[in-house]
Amino acid sequence: MTNENAPTSGGHSPWFWAGLMLASYAIISALIVTKAIEQTPYLIFLILVPLGLTFPLMKAANRRVDDGSCLGKGEAQKRYIKRVAVSTSAYLAAFALMTFATASGDPPIALRAFLAILPGLAIIGIFWAIGRLIVEEQDEFMRMLIVRQSLVATGFALSAASIWGFLEAADVVPHLDAYWVAVAWFAGLGLGAIMNRVQYGTWGAV
Amino acid sequence: MKNCLKVLRAENDWSQQDLANRLGVSRQSVNAIETGKYDPSLPLAFKIADIFAMTIEDIFERGQEEGE
Repeated sequence: MTNENAPTSGGHSPWFWAGLMLASYAIISALIVTKAIEQTPYLIFLILVPLGLTFPLMKAANRRVDDGSCLGKGEAQKRYIKRVAVSTSAYLAAFALMTFATASGDPPIALRAFLAILPGLAIIGIFWAIGRLIVEEQDEFMRMLIVRQSLVATGFALSAASIWGFLEAADVVPHLDAYWVAVAWFAGLGLGAIMNRVQYGTWGAV
Repeated sequence: MKNCLKVLRAENDWSQQDLANRLGVSRQSVNAIETGKYDPSLPLAFKIADIFAMTIEDIFERGQEEGE
């Protein structure tokens, strides 16, 4: 059994870089919330730090794939990791910008709409990355696991949305923004991975 | 679907990773096929048969639920 937290050969573990990136975003968010930073140029400069950490993260993740300590191997997996890392970074940056713009006053509706669409586009990037992985994965077993995982996630998210929607209509639960369906879908991916593990003995590649 | 992949692999002194490398698939795929959890597609089954210089029928046999 491989230790997923162990450093990959020749550098830190991807988890180390991911942790560092998330910690950077947390610090930036704290600076915004506490109004320690209110000027956009400084904020943009600070956001470059976690964005820059994306590159060592991708390198570490690719090293892990090469080491064979990650599920699957090959170019499709590497491209997937790269695409998800870029989309996730774009999402975090877009979300930080949106939070900052909202917190620093009342921007015009066009700017608000533009900033609000950006995180959604970044999330679409993750869906696209999963779709490309299904198309590009050459290993038929791994491809089947990804498809299975995605179907479980879709079923879970749509079921949760349906039940919540009717409960909301009956005034039993509070209103939730529609993007929570995407969050439920990502949670469903985790559920799909568990089902893969139970039935096929491996978590899958997503 | 039952198969004798594990025996054939042992005869050649190959690990699951060795066979996976020859087939161009992941070690997890070989493990899933070997343990009967996953039935390979026809092209992959042919590839496996070619590697061991055998026919598909020599390596794979019908499971009970697929028999008449």
